[in-house]
Amino acid sequence: MSDRSQLIETGKPFAFDAQRDAEFERLAKRYPTRESLILPSLWLVQEQEGWISAEAMAYIADRIGTFATMVYEAATFYTMYNLQPKGKYHICVCRTLSCYLLGKQEIVDYLQRELGIKPGAVSADGQYSLEEVECLGHCGSAPVVQINGEFYEYMTVDKLKELLATLK
Amino acid sequence: MADKVKLFVNGQEVEVESGKNLIDAIGAVGIEIPHLCYHPALGADGNCRMCLVGIEDGRPPLVPACKTRAAEGMKVQLDTDKIKKIQRDIMELELINHPIDCPICDQAGECKLQDYYMKYDGQKSRMTVKPVLKAKKMDFGCGVVHDQERCVLCARCVRFTRLITKTGELGIVNRTDYARVNIFPGRPLANRYALNVVDLCPVGAMTSADFRFKQRSWFLTKSKGICRGCSKGCNIFIDHNREKYKDDVIYRFRPRLNEKVNGYFMCDAGRMTYKQENDNRLTVALLDGKETGLNEAVEALRRAVSQAKKIVCVISPNNSLEQMFAIQKFAANCNAAVSGYSDGYVIAGDGDDFLIQDDKSANRASFALLGIDASKAGFDAAVNGADLLICFQNDLSLSLTADALNALAGNCKLAYLGSNMDACAEKAAIALPVASATEDAGTLVNVDSILQQYAVAVVKNTPAFDMIHVVSQLGGEIKNCFEARAGLTAAVAALKGIDLEQVPGEGLALTVSEVPNVAA
Ligand code: SF4
Ligand code: SF4
Ligand code: FES
Ligand code: FES
Repeated sequence: MSDRSQLIETGKPFAFDAQRDAEFERLAKRYPTRESLILPSLWLVQEQEGWISAEAMAYIADRIGTFATMVYEAATFYTMYNLQPKGKYHICVCRTLSCYLLGKQEIVDYLQRELGIKPGAVSADGQYSLEEVECLGHCGSAPVVQINGEFYEYMTVDKLKELLATLK
Repeated sequence: MADKVKLFVNGQEVEVESGKNLIDAIGAVGIEIPHLCYHPALGADGNCRMCLVGIEDGRPPLVPACKTRAAEGMKVQLDTDKIKKIQRDIMELELINHPIDCPICDQAGECKLQDYYMKYDGQKSRMTVKPVLKAKKMDFGCGVVHDQERCVLCARCVRFTRLITKTGELGIVNRTDYARVNIFPGRPLANRYALNVVDLCPVGAMTSADFRFKQRSWFLTKSKGICRGCSKGCNIFIDHNREKYKDDVIYRFRPRLNEKVNGYFMCDAGRMTYKQENDNRLTVALLDGKETGLNEAVEALRRAVSQAKKIVCVISPNNSLEQMFAIQKFAANCNAAVSGYSDGYVIAGDGDDFLIQDDKSANRASFALLGIDASKAGFDAAVNGADLLICFQNDLSLSLTADALNALAGNCKLAYLGSNMDACAEKAAIALPVASATEDAGTLVNVDSILQQYAVAVVKNTPAFDMIHVVSQLGGEIKNCFEARAGLTAAVAALKGIDLEQVPGEGLALTVSEVPNVAA
C-alpha cells in the first residue's frame, strides 16, 4: 500500500456508457441501501475505463446520492481499484503478514530495481505498473504476486526473473 | 430524575446514572476513563480502543467503555496492570507516526494525546524506522486547517459532518498506517458549523486559521458567556488574555455545553463575533465627531435631554433585560417615547433548523416581557416631531436606509450610547462609550424563551462604564444591574417568583404563557 489519496482529475466529466448505465440500474434494485452501490459502481467504472478518476468518483457519489468522501474512502481502501491508468502488466505484491515474513520485501526491491519504478507508479513506457497490496487470500502459499489478476505463489526473485522474461 | 445504579470501580462502590455508557456515567462522579473517539454528541464509534476497561467476572471480561452501559453490580477495573498496559499500548500505537513536537503545536495544553501521554503512558519511543509522512497545513475550507500527521483517526470530525451537518465533506481515506483525513478534491468544507471540528478534534490535527498560533492555550482565561450572534443565545467560553503591557483581548469564542440551548456546538458566524468586541470600538466620547471628555459629553446629553421637547429612546434588541428596564425608567422620567425598532437585525430566511436564527439579536424576547414596541409604525409615530433621538446600542443604520437615517439626523439631534463605532455612532452628534457585552453583566431571553445570564468576563485597562451607569448619569433612577433586577422582579409579571440573582447556569425556561405578559 502506498498513499492512494492523490486522485487524478481528468478535467473531463465522466458518465457511464449505456451498458454500465443499465447494469447500475439493475444493481440499484438489488441492495437494501443505495450506499451498497458504491463498490459495484467502482467496478463498473474500472471495467469501462480501466481506472477510476476523481470525476468518476464524484459521478458515482452524485448518482447514488451519497457523499463523495464515502466513495473516496472505499476507492482508496481497496487496492484492487486502480486510481491511475495502469501498465500493460499490472504487478501486485502482497505486503501483509505471511507474505511480509516470507520475503515480500526482496521481491519488491527486485521489481523496483528491474522496472525502475516505485510501488504505486507506472513505468515510462507504459509496460509495467507496480503496487503493494493487502492480503490476497493466498497466505498459505506466501509470498504471493498477482499479475493482471493471475496468481503466482511461493514467489522468489529467481522465479520472478523467469516470469518477467515471458512478459515482453 | 434518571434512575441510579450502584456499581464498583476499582472495588469502590459508586452510584451512577443508569442508561449511560461507562465513560459518561463514571465520568459524572469524577472518575476519568481515557477516550479519543467517543463524544457524547457523536455517539460511540469504538474505533480508538483507548477506553477499554476490565469487567471482573464479566463476559467478555474486557470491554470498550464507550459501548458499555452502566449496570447494577458491575465490577469495573481501571487500575489493574492489564488495563494499564492496554492503555500504554494504545498510546504507543497512536504515537508511532505522530510528530513529537508539542512545543510548536497549536493544540499543546489542550490536547488529549499530550494529556494521556503524561497520565497513562510516559514511555520512551521504541520506534527505529522512519515515520510515515503525511500532509500538513491543508486548507479544508471554512477556515479549518488540517495537519494529517497529528491526526489520531478518531473520526470525530468525519462523523460530525455526516451526522450533525449532514454535509459529509470529510472522510478517512487509504488504510493502515497510510490512512488520513481528507476532503474530496474540489469539495471543501462548506457548512455553517464547520469550525466545530476544531473543538471536536482531540488533538492538534484540526486548527482554526483564525486562531492558530495566536495564543498558547494555558495563557487564556476561559470565561463563560453567551453568544449574541443571533437569538439562539449559544453558551460560549470567552477565551481572553491580557498580555504583559497590553490590554485584555479576546482571542476566540468556543461553544460551551448547554443541553437546553446549543448542546455542544455553535455556528461559525457566531464564533467570529468575538472580533466586534476587540475591533472598531467606541472608546472615547464624541461631540460632533470630535473626541471629548466623558463628563463633558454626558453633560451635553443631559442638557439636550432637559431642553428637548420630544425625546425618543431607541432600545436595541441586544440590550440586556436590565438595560432595557433602566432605559424604560429613564424614558418614563423624561417623558420620552420608547421604540425597539430594529427590523434590520432580522435576516428573514437565514436561519436553519439547527441553531442559527433569522433574528441576529440576542434579546428580542425581552421586548415582549417589557412591552417594548418594535414596529416601524410605532417608530415613525415616535420620531415624528421629535427633536432628540437617543439610540441605546441600537445601530439604526441596519434598519433604515442611509437617506432615511440622514434625514432623521437632520431633523433631530441624534445621540448614541454604544460600545462600537458603528454607522449610527458616526452620525451621532453625541456619542458615549459604554462597556461591551463581554465587559458587562446581564440577562438575555432567547428565541425559545430561555432566560440566561452572563457576568463580566473582560476587564479592559481603562474600562468603559456600563450602560446602566451612564443612563443613571443622564438622570435615570436605576443605578446598577442589581437595582434593575430588583425592579424587574417586582414589575414584570412573567418574572414574579424568579430570583434574578440566582439563575441556574443552564438558564431558566420561562413558560410560554408567561412570555407575552407585559410589564405590570
Ligand atoms: S482530524 Fe482530529 S477529529 Fe478528525 S479524525 Fe483526526 S484526530 Fe479525529
Ligand atoms: S447560532 Fe446564533 S447564538 Fe448560536 S453561535 Fe450562532 S450566532 Fe451565536
Ligand atoms: S498475507 Fe499475502 S496473501 Fe495473505
Ligand atoms: S472511546 Fe471507546 S473505542 Fe474510542
